[in-house]
Amino acid sequence: MTKETMSSLKQLNRLALTETEEAEVLDFLATLEKGEEKMAQTDTEGLKILVHLSEVSNLFNVLREDKAQKVYTREELQEHAPEAYDGYWQVPRLVD
Amino acid sequence: MKYITEKDIKGTVALEDTILYKGIPCTAGSKMLEKFIPLHNAEVADRLEKAGISISGKVNVGEFGFDLLGETSYFGAEKDENGNLVSASSCLVKEGLKGVLAVELNGASIRGAALGGTVFVKPTYGTVSRYGVIPCACSSEQVGVHACNVENASEILSVIAGHDAKDGTSLPCEKYEYFVKDDVSGKKVCIPKEYFEKADDSTKANVEKIADALKSKGAQVEFVSFAEFEASQSAWFVMMCAESCNNLSRYEGVKFGHRTESYNDIEELYTKSRTEAFGLLAKSVILYGSDVLSKNRYFTTYDKALKVRRLLRTKLDALFAEYDLILAPVSSKTGYKEASMKTVYEESYFTSLASMMGLPVVATKGVQLIGNSFEENKLLCAAKAIGEVE
Amino acid sequence: MKYETIIGLEVHIELATDSKIFCSCGTTFGAGQNNNVCPACCGMPGMLPIMNKKVVELGMMAGMLTNCHINRYTTFDKKSYYYPDLPSSYQTTQWFAPICVDGGVEIETSKGKKVIGIKQIHMEEDAGKLVHDEWTDTTLVDFNRTSVPLIEIVSRPDLNSVEEVVAYLDKLKTLLRFAKVSDCKMEEGSMRCDVNLSIRPEGSTELGVRTEMKNMNSITAISKAIEYEVARHIDALERGTETLIQETRRWDDVKNKSFGMRSKEMAADYRYFPDPNLVPIIIDDEWFESVKERLPELPHLKKARYMDELGLSENDASIITSSRALCDVFEGATKVNGLPKDTANWILGECMSTLRQKKLSADDLDIDPAKLGIIVKMVADGKIVRNAGKKVLAAVFGEDVDPVEYCKANGLDAQSNAGEIEEAVKKVLDANADTVTKYKNGETKVRNALFGQVMKELKGKGDPASIQAILSKLLD
Repeated sequence: MTKETMSSLKQLNRLALTETEEAEVLDFLATLEKGEEKMAQTDTEGLKILVHLSEVSNLFNVLREDKAQKVYTREELQEHAPEAYDGYWQVPRLVD
Repeated sequence: MKYITEKDIKGTVALEDTILYKGIPCTAGSKMLEKFIPLHNAEVADRLEKAGISISGKVNVGEFGFDLLGETSYFGAEKDENGNLVSASSCLVKEGLKGVLAVELNGASIRGAALGGTVFVKPTYGTVSRYGVIPCACSSEQVGVHACNVENASEILSVIAGHDAKDGTSLPCEKYEYFVKDDVSGKKVCIPKEYFEKADDSTKANVEKIADALKSKGAQVEFVSFAEFEASQSAWFVMMCAESCNNLSRYEGVKFGHRTESYNDIEELYTKSRTEAFGLLAKSVILYGSDVLSKNRYFTTYDKALKVRRLLRTKLDALFAEYDLILAPVSSKTGYKEASMKTVYEESYFTSLASMMGLPVVATKGVQLIGNSFEENKLLCAAKAIGEVE
Repeated sequence: MKYETIIGLEVHIELATDSKIFCSCGTTFGAGQNNNVCPACCGMPGMLPIMNKKVVELGMMAGMLTNCHINRYTTFDKKSYYYPDLPSSYQTTQWFAPICVDGGVEIETSKGKKVIGIKQIHMEEDAGKLVHDEWTDTTLVDFNRTSVPLIEIVSRPDLNSVEEVVAYLDKLKTLLRFAKVSDCKMEEGSMRCDVNLSIRPEGSTELGVRTEMKNMNSITAISKAIEYEVARHIDALERGTETLIQETRRWDDVKNKSFGMRSKEMAADYRYFPDPNLVPIIIDDEWFESVKERLPELPHLKKARYMDELGLSENDASIITSSRALCDVFEGATKVNGLPKDTANWILGECMSTLRQKKLSADDLDIDPAKLGIIVKMVADGKIVRNAGKKVLAAVFGEDVDPVEYCKANGLDAQSNAGEIEEAVKKVLDANADTVTKYKNGETKVRNALFGQVMKELKGKGDPASIQAILSKLLD
């Protein structure tokens, strides 16, 4: 993995690393990428992806009726909010 | 042990700290959620209480459950008197807890029980509700039970298993019947060479001892080889990291959880909060998961992993047509003083197949028994047979 | 040089459901900040999404209305990015297998008829709302709108002018309101629009640099923004005022200008992947047909039927079929009285003017169709006079009042009324002997003054025709 890729991944995921950490992570990711070879060599030609294991049990169309229900109050939800004001969660002012 | 709130724990069940209980902090072993207080119970907690089983408290876990044996918990690792890493849940059931519910993600519970001399049962994906579980790899993770014997594990499992409308992947079956009989006669057991050969001598010796025990009870045990299993390690890591990257993105210091002390703008708030609160393994999982989902890698890695999952499903169908269960080591060694991130990846080799395929597993006496979906009873009976030998 | 403008629209439409797409929180507009929120839609871990069935059905309807192919196997995906209005830092949407593909709607402009292609319609969840608070100089976050169900209708780049864009949006609005898929209220944000625009020299087949303006929520703003962007692009090409880049721009309604967003989006990689918590949806024939059956007769078919079978004029039929509410009242009333033409006159006359007075739109017409039907019939049968009918209508409008009872209680019945009119006329003639003399001497225009006095005397209950008849009888 290049430094540029690492830098964009950190930005994209809102994470920072010290130099030592970054070296360790890069080394770890290199191991993971090496591991991908086994996967790459596996012939999956013509196979569909398998996302939901429940597909094997024919589980489809899990749907609920359109009924509204209020269970939680705003006060409960915001009780442990890092910052809330007047019933809103609060963050630093955004500029476009 | 950490978090247990009741003094008298005999006969009670505890929850690993990735399972929500209303009003009690649920940390997932992370500084990020040190102060997160859930507003509702996990479905499994409700089911325990409805069945009259008292919940005694929470048990420490490795951060979000990615690690080897809980060593990445922000609240400290558990070690035995020899300095070996041990599973907190395994220790607690030995101390008298009837059981501990745990979310089995990347093998930590399986290793914890097998190496700790206790039992862990993970049922087939979709049998136990994930409602109220801190999500990481939703396509695969499943709540299971730690106990000191198969009977207790199976009894608790029968309480928590069954359809829950609040989990959209919960299978429709309302009730599962689990039973434990000391009976493996006529069962066909296979040991995949790919797993056996990666283990050290004492681990191999233990697997052979277990194999002999099963044979002595009338089971047939054979070595098999399935090269495709080897691809499961990488495919699993790709899936686990991608899904976890996405699920961990909700922790950014805005609504709940850790927020950094000083920041000038939203970007700084996000980055500092996440950087301060996640450990290095969690960060690596996020970065790798993000990478495999990126536009230029998606089809060669993530999509490929999902195809490998399809391939493995067909291979497993063939394997289980011939064998009743798989016997395998849970790790390459019998003990670990410490675990690097690489160790976590290397050891996931043994557990990734059952993880990504949502297969039932019983971990006991240094080994794991893996069955086809819904074949928990075969595993419970085999585990009982192994247990009765010594 | 002449340029051709090429526009594609992504229209976001909030669906008319009671609850959110993946959780049971309500969707009421203006509920008070963060009152329609639960752990799931404020991003807390542990709750799992369960799909709202009505969302799928409204999505199917939208596709049927716009001649799309409905994918019988449809799935959900997660789209990741950080923004404070997105509590989970991912949006659940449809990327790989959207519910509808390959449709189109016909629009009509001054240049004639044209089909605008629809690439796809997908279901997704809305984001929350941000409020910039001057007092605290912070941004405040409201998750009421988070997870409100949306469909996004993605057009093909088939639109070439503001007029076409307006006609296309109007068409979508009419269709979707008609089928009650959405109320499409731009002012409440239940219909919003991203405009993708580029220009190229006429005759060229190469596409120009495309810019996107997000979240436009009024026809005026969309029109002005398109005109501004076209001019900006032409200036850039002809006079080199700037170098066009592919970017997202924000339209500023006050400054009447668009601004490039200093965009982190440049680096954006949304990392779409299938949502493991939402199993695929399979639409079998039975479900498909049952939804199709619930679709209303479409406006253009209704219009033809109103004209051909019920004898309405094209103008009347057009106006009534422009609104589902008008159609429902018209059809309901006609069913009761069998008088389509009279009923249409009442709807287009009295009902519409009442709506105008109350500053309401046609979709807000709140009257029991059966009651309107009875009123129209009573007037047609001469049981009450037209003016009395208007009074009953006013009383029935939006209220639970029985028209027949109301007539009796208020003496509006035409028969009981005739004697009363004659008495009033006599009284007026007696009191205005001078005027009567003037009239008899040929000053016929004073008759209007007498008529007015009678009307006053009757406090408006009298039917003008009956008053005139009695006036004639007694004067001439």
